[in-house]
Formats: sequence, structure tokens, C-alpha cells
Amino acid sequence: MLDLKELLSKARLPLDITRRGFLEVSTVAAAMAAMNTVKAQTGAQPYIILSAPKGILIADPSLCVTCQRCELACTEFNDGKADPKLARIKINRNMWYGPQGTALVSPNNGAFGFDPICIQDTCRQCDHPVPCANACPQGAIRVNPKTGARYVDEEICIGCGLCQKACPWNMMSFDAEKNVASKCFLCDGDPKCVKACPTEAIRYVPWVDRSKEPNRSTQHGYLPQNNNDQCGICHG
Amino acid sequence: MSDTKKYGWTGQGLRINLSTGEVSTVPTDKQWIGGTALGYKIFWDEVPPKTQAFDEANKLVIAPGPLTGTGAVCSGRTSITTMYPTTYPRHMVGSAHLGGDIGAKIKYAGYDFIIVEGKAKEPVYIYINNDDVQIRNAGHIWGEGTRRSHELISQETSPNASVTVIGPAGENLVPMSIVINAKSHTGGGIGGVFGSKNLKGIAIDGDQAIHIAADKEDWEKLVNRHKELLGALTQTVVSRYPHPLFEYHSLNSRWSGMPGKQWGAANPPINVPLDTRRLSKMAFRTNAGEFFLGDKEWGLHVRNNGCFACPIRCYPVIKDVKTAAKFNVSPITEQTCGGLLFPVFFYPNLKLHPERNIEIAIVGSQLMDDLGLWCNYGQIQRDMVMMYTDGYWKKLLSKEEYDSLPWKKIDDVDASAMQEFLPKIAYRQGEFGKWMGETTPVMLEHFGIPLKTWSDDHRSLYWSNGHPKHHTNEDDAQLGCVLNCMWNRDPMAHAHVNFTRSGLPIKEMKHIAKVTWGDESAVDQIGDYTPVNEYKMKRLAWVIARTELHNMLGLCSWMGPWEYCPDEKNQYVGDPNIEAKVFSAVTGVKKTGDDLDKDATRAWLLQRVYTMRQLDSSNMRQDHDTVPGWIYWDPKDKKPFTKGTVRMDPADIQKSFDIFFEQMGFNKQTGVPTVDTLKEYHLDFVIPALQKEGLIK
Repeated sequence: MLDLKELLSKARLPLDITRRGFLEVSTVAAAMAAMNTVKAQTGAQPYIILSAPKGILIADPSLCVTCQRCELACTEFNDGKADPKLARIKINRNMWYGPQGTALVSPNNGAFGFDPICIQDTCRQCDHPVPCANACPQGAIRVNPKTGARYVDEEICIGCGLCQKACPWNMMSFDAEKNVASKCFLCDGDPKCVKACPTEAIRYVPWVDRSKEPNRSTQHGYLPQNNNDQCGICHG
Repeated sequence: MSDTKKYGWTGQGLRINLSTGEVSTVPTDKQWIGGTALGYKIFWDEVPPKTQAFDEANKLVIAPGPLTGTGAVCSGRTSITTMYPTTYPRHMVGSAHLGGDIGAKIKYAGYDFIIVEGKAKEPVYIYINNDDVQIRNAGHIWGEGTRRSHELISQETSPNASVTVIGPAGENLVPMSIVINAKSHTGGGIGGVFGSKNLKGIAIDGDQAIHIAADKEDWEKLVNRHKELLGALTQTVVSRYPHPLFEYHSLNSRWSGMPGKQWGAANPPINVPLDTRRLSKMAFRTNAGEFFLGDKEWGLHVRNNGCFACPIRCYPVIKDVKTAAKFNVSPITEQTCGGLLFPVFFYPNLKLHPERNIEIAIVGSQLMDDLGLWCNYGQIQRDMVMMYTDGYWKKLLSKEEYDSLPWKKIDDVDASAMQEFLPKIAYRQGEFGKWMGETTPVMLEHFGIPLKTWSDDHRSLYWSNGHPKHHTNEDDAQLGCVLNCMWNRDPMAHAHVNFTRSGLPIKEMKHIAKVTWGDESAVDQIGDYTPVNEYKMKRLAWVIARTELHNMLGLCSWMGPWEYCPDEKNQYVGDPNIEAKVFSAVTGVKKTGDDLDKDATRAWLLQRVYTMRQLDSSNMRQDHDTVPGWIYWDPKDKKPFTKGTVRMDPADIQKSFDIFFEQMGFNKQTGVPTVDTLKEYHLDFVIPALQKEGLIK
């Protein structure tokens, strides 16, 4: 019988893991051997997020008045600047023509739409497998133990942009001045966008699974080999 | 290492020459701050004062302010300074002011302003995407309405881009034409200037950061403090109806978000919350749709919209499928204020069918917007109706042309009348179409009607210099009258009327007046006016400064200034220095409220002396600052300064000018700044030209 806690205390997996019995290996020694192979690699270390998310931002499109103050609060109150590329909640790209953009000249949503509402794009805080985290060759996307938010560790990020290509909803942001990626980190449990919204359109609620929602774009299929190997530890 | 971050300003603007195709960058002269002031300075330096609006030598200075693009409250405004086609007796420098998202995108693309000069050989549009500036062929878009033009340009550039376009009216050089941005946000009077340059529009996208100089926690606190100063639209600070959370109410207030009201066309409908005083519900305070169209609009209301970064949202989004089917228009309308309200002014018989006001607003606003026509604050409507009801059209048009126009539909309050005659104006068809598109005095001159016929008649609301009144004695007595003379078009100032129509009882207003301008006598109750005094004119100088300042910073003039606020615990006293605090926090440049007022007055003075050169005037009081006769009229012939009238007194108006000019350091007789005053405002550089042209000694 595998002692999960013993294994975890020796490995670099997140300690708040909630799943049991997923490991196929028969002994602790075998599991450790697999992990040690990975740990022995120098330089970049992949990081597979296993822990479940706790909270998420949900937004009501019929309440969005497209003031964009959520985007502004996100970067001004967190980063000290108004930075459209860095905004981690995304309004501007949908507010005129909806998520489909100008594919239809006269769209369904957005100010030009038949139904002139704006769909606010918020991070799904994906459960495992976390596309952005799995795509990161540096293991820069981690988990906040308090909120469960998936966040980019700027110290580790090298700005390669693979996370942006991996997110099915194009939710990754980028700080062009620091050359690092960023994403919604739920402001350590007190989201600025929620407070900035003049209609309470955005809510911070217990996590719901939004992974089945239509993708905004096709994902880039590339998964760094190291990350692929990580998956093999548990999934054979 | 030097700090290359952009704090407020980006540090540079664009110069785009449509004749040569040359694009270059220009450093920002920060002493002028932004907006209209940058425009006036560029005009002083580069544009000969006698340039006409449609000359190739005319320029467009498109400038937001250092605050635009940030989360500074109500900072999404942009000014476009140019020679105005609708000014009279000659084209003079003026500014259009628009909201939407053009200002934010200009800043995010990396620019504080865009100078457009010259003339393209063929129809073009400009596409700016950060460093990349392209002048693109617009032949396939030329001729399209603004709605379709916007969508076509978005499709060729980016769905994120800010798009500003003209319609057929601007293309046809109709003076009464607009540019329109963000689907519904118009800049009045300047569509023809774009058209004269073969410029169909401008698309702008950008994603560069604007930094806040202040510490981010302090900035968050300041932004929230500024939000606390906000009331509802036009800074009304009391509820429309009695409400348990409000001390006062006023039937004129635009704070109409009340329990029991719904955004009825939302899916499913959204109830307006009880407590819209909360910052998290402040976008529910105002429904400009119901304010201008009446209670029935609530059932058609999808949501609110508005300018970038503003939490008030004064543009209603209205869904009316019945009107759409009846008149073959879009089921979705988005417009506000005059754009929504003034179409009914085409109908002198409206009172026979008052319930048709919504369909008229929908058909009229959509058509005016799509054709790119300007109403000039309702002047096009008033002119058309006066010419009709007083028999001028019948007398002056050929029988054939007169009979071709839909007068019966006008009489019958039929919205489809506009679908017949508005295109004639946009396409300059016939005598009616051609001259209705001209500014009022030009039309009257053509038809041999003395201007005084209009300016003595209250029905016209014509003021001077080609433009109508815009909040004058009906809102703020003498202050309003002198104010309406102070620019070359209608002043687009609301710092006075926001205050007088705040909804507060006069005793509260007088207390705020004492705190802000030094004495209670600075303000009277509307309709209970008293003779002019020094404090009223001191408040006028402040109104002028704050109007120009907001147009320099990129701040809205409908939601501010904020010398008063909804805080009953503080006797509704606000913070008249909030603009300075926000400016200092964003840019890192420390200025007080008085500093900025002086900067703004300096810019306004520059515009005034440039105008002197345009008019060859050494006596602005006589040549420019004229008031119409109708301000001295009352429907019941009540005397001035009696309760129940807004009638002015000629001697008192002249005394108002006397006091104002003296306070400003102008020659009292001529309304011209003295040399000492020009020097006091660091306008030494204007003195040689003014002296050379014999305009000052």
C-alpha cells in the first residue's frame, strides 16, 4: 500500500492534494525513483498542478456596462499602471462584436450586436489538467494555497508565451515591460475587479467547472517534453 | 538608469500629413497639458488665422489628456480642435469634444495627440496600431453610413480598435456634420473637415501601458474617494423621487434609479437596486433613456453604456422591435442627450401625439448618426420649424421643391418624415438641403432673412457666431449669458448648470457657494434671479477655467467639477481640488487646483487672442461677445429679477461684462486682455503678433 503522504513529503508535488489512489506505481521506491529522475534535471522544472481550485470569478453579461473599470482596477491597483495587455479580466476584445469578433460583420453580441450585451472573459481557474501550467516549461504557474488561484510566479517566468498558446480561452496576459506572463490570481481572495464594477456584474464564488465552454481559439498542441514526462508519473 | 515610464503623458504625439503621406512624431509640450490647449497652441504656431475650415491648411488636433486611458474617474474624453465650418462671420477656431474610446486608444497606442494635416488625393482612412501608422485606401467605404463604415473598418483592422468615422454628410462637406466614435459618441460640427481632407475615418489600436506615479495603494484610495464625490448624470446629487436613503429629492434630478424600476429589455429583466448610493451599484443611478424619453423607456432599456472609464454610463441601449418593424430601422438604439431628445423638435404638432416621442427619437437619432448629421444643439430643428411655421419655406422654395418635401408628415407627427428630408441635407439636395446644412446665419443670409429676426425671437434660441445658446439664462442668469460668448461656438460648459440644477435646495447651494467662491451671493435660485455682483462673475471665471481644464485633462464636463457631492453628512460640500489631486497622482507633477485653473485660463486666453486675429478685432466686446435680444423677453412680460422669470436686463448684462472683464484684467470697454494680463499668464509670445496686427497697443 502506498503511503501517499510519505511520498508527497519527499516529492515536489503540492501538499494540498485531494485525490487519492491515482498513482499506478506499486511501491514508494518506484515512485520516488521516477520523481528523482525528474528532480535530478537541472534548470527548468515543470510543475503540474494537481490541487483543486477553490474560487472563481463569474460575470453576468447582462449587467456589463462596458466601462472597462475592471480591466483598469486589475492592473492599476495590482501593478501601478493602466496596461491593456496585462488586464487579467478581458472586456475590450468582446465589447464591440462579441467573442466571435468581426467574423460576422453584424454580430450577435457586443455593442453592434442584435443582443447588445458584453461577455466578460474571466479565468476558469482550471482544475487538473491546467493547460497554462502544463504548458509552462519553467514550472512558473503555481497555486495559491489560500485561494486555489493559479498564478504566474514572475521570478520563474521567462516570458516564452507558451501558456498563452495553451489556454483554450486566451486568458493569459502579458506584462510587456517586465517580459513576463500573468494571469488572474484572484487578488489573494479580494478581487479588485469585483469591487470596481459599478453594477456588481462580477462575482467571486465557489469554484464551478467551466472547462466545457466553447474555446475561444484552438490550442497550440505543443507540450514541453519535461512536462509530458511529469504526466507519465501518474498516468503511466 | 532614467525612468522611461509614461506617467499620464506618453511624451509624444503624431503628425500625419495626408498630402505627402508623411508620418512623424512630435514631442508633447506638457506646459499646455493636453486636449484643447495643445490644439490652440498648435493653431497659434502653425495655422494662419484666416484659414478656412475646408482649406487644405486647416488641421485637426485630436487630443485626449494625461488622465485619459487611466482609471481616473470620468477621464475618457477627447477634444478635436480645428477651424469650425459652422462659426460666423468667418470660420474660427473651435473644439469638438467626444467620448467613447478614441482617447484611451490614442494613449495606449503611445500618443498624447494626433495632428492631421493636408489632404489626401483619394478617400483614405488612417489606421494606427502602436508604432505602425498606415494611410489606407477607403474608396470601398466612402459613401457608406457611419454604422456600416465602422464595422467595415473594424473588420479590416481589429475588433478591439477604436473607430471614428464620418458619414455622407461629412463627405459632402455639409457644415452641420459630425464625426462619430464608438458607434454613438459624436463630435459636432467637424465632419466636413474630415471630408475636405478625403479622410473617411481613423482606427486606433494600442496596448502600451500608462503608469500611475502615485503609490498603487494611494491611487486606489484616491480613485475610490473620487467615486464617492459622484452623483448621478450631470452631477445631480439627490434622488428623483422621495427615497428613504436620501434627504432631498427633485423632479429634475437624473438620479432616477429607484426600487420598482427595471432594465426591462435585459434578458431576463434586471431590477434596479434599492441602494444605488453604493459605489458597486452606481451605474444604476441614471437611465438617460427614461430622462429624455419618459417612463415607457424602462421597458425598452437593455442596459447602460458610455465613455471609457466612466462608472455613470449615460448612454442608454434601447431595444424597440415594434419601431424597428414599423420604420425599417435597427431594433437597437444607443444615443443620449440631444441626440435622443432633439428629433422631436422637428415636429411642431408633437402635443397631438406625445406618445410618438420614442419612435421619433429612435428613427431620428439613428438616421442623424448614420448620415453623420449634426443638430447643433437642436438648432437644425428649430431653424427648420421656424422657417416652416412662419411661412418662409413656402415663400422661398420653388413650388416644385416645396411640394416634394413631407410637410404633411411633419404636421401628422410621422417619424418617417425624417427619413425623407434628412438625407436631403446630408446630400445637399435642393435649396432646402443645401442651406439647412449651413450654419444658421449663412442660411438666413442666403434667403435674405435678417439675422435679428432670429436673435430677437426666443423660439430660435440662436445666440451668436453661428451657434445657439447652450445653458444660458434659463439655467444660470447673467453667468450663463456671458459664458455663452466666451468661445467661438456654444461653450459646451456644464460647470454652472450642473450646480444650479443639482437638485439641492437653494440654502445648501448657497452654503457650497460660500465655501467654494467666497460668498452665498454667487448663486441664485433658477427663476428667482438678482442683479449681477462680483461673486457671480468670479464663479463665471471658475466655470470657464474648469470647462477648459476638463477639456485639457480629458475629463468629462457633465459629471464634474465636484465642488459639491451627495454627502449629506458634509452638507453636500465636495472637493473642488479633486482634479488637481488626480492630476498630481497620475503624472507625478504636483499642482494645486489654483495652478490648474490658471493653466486652463491661459489656454482659454490663447484661444481668445487667436480669435482676435481671425476677426481683425481689437474690440471683442463689440465684435464677438454679442448676446441675442430674446434673453430680454418673457412670455408673460414679467419684469427681470422678479420671481418666476428668467428674463435678463440689458443694463445688468452690460454690467456683468464690465465686472467680468475687470476681474480678468481685460480692457473693460473692449474685452481684450491687457499686456500685463497676457504677461501674467505667460502669454508674452502672443504680444508681438497682436501688436503687429494692430489689435493691442
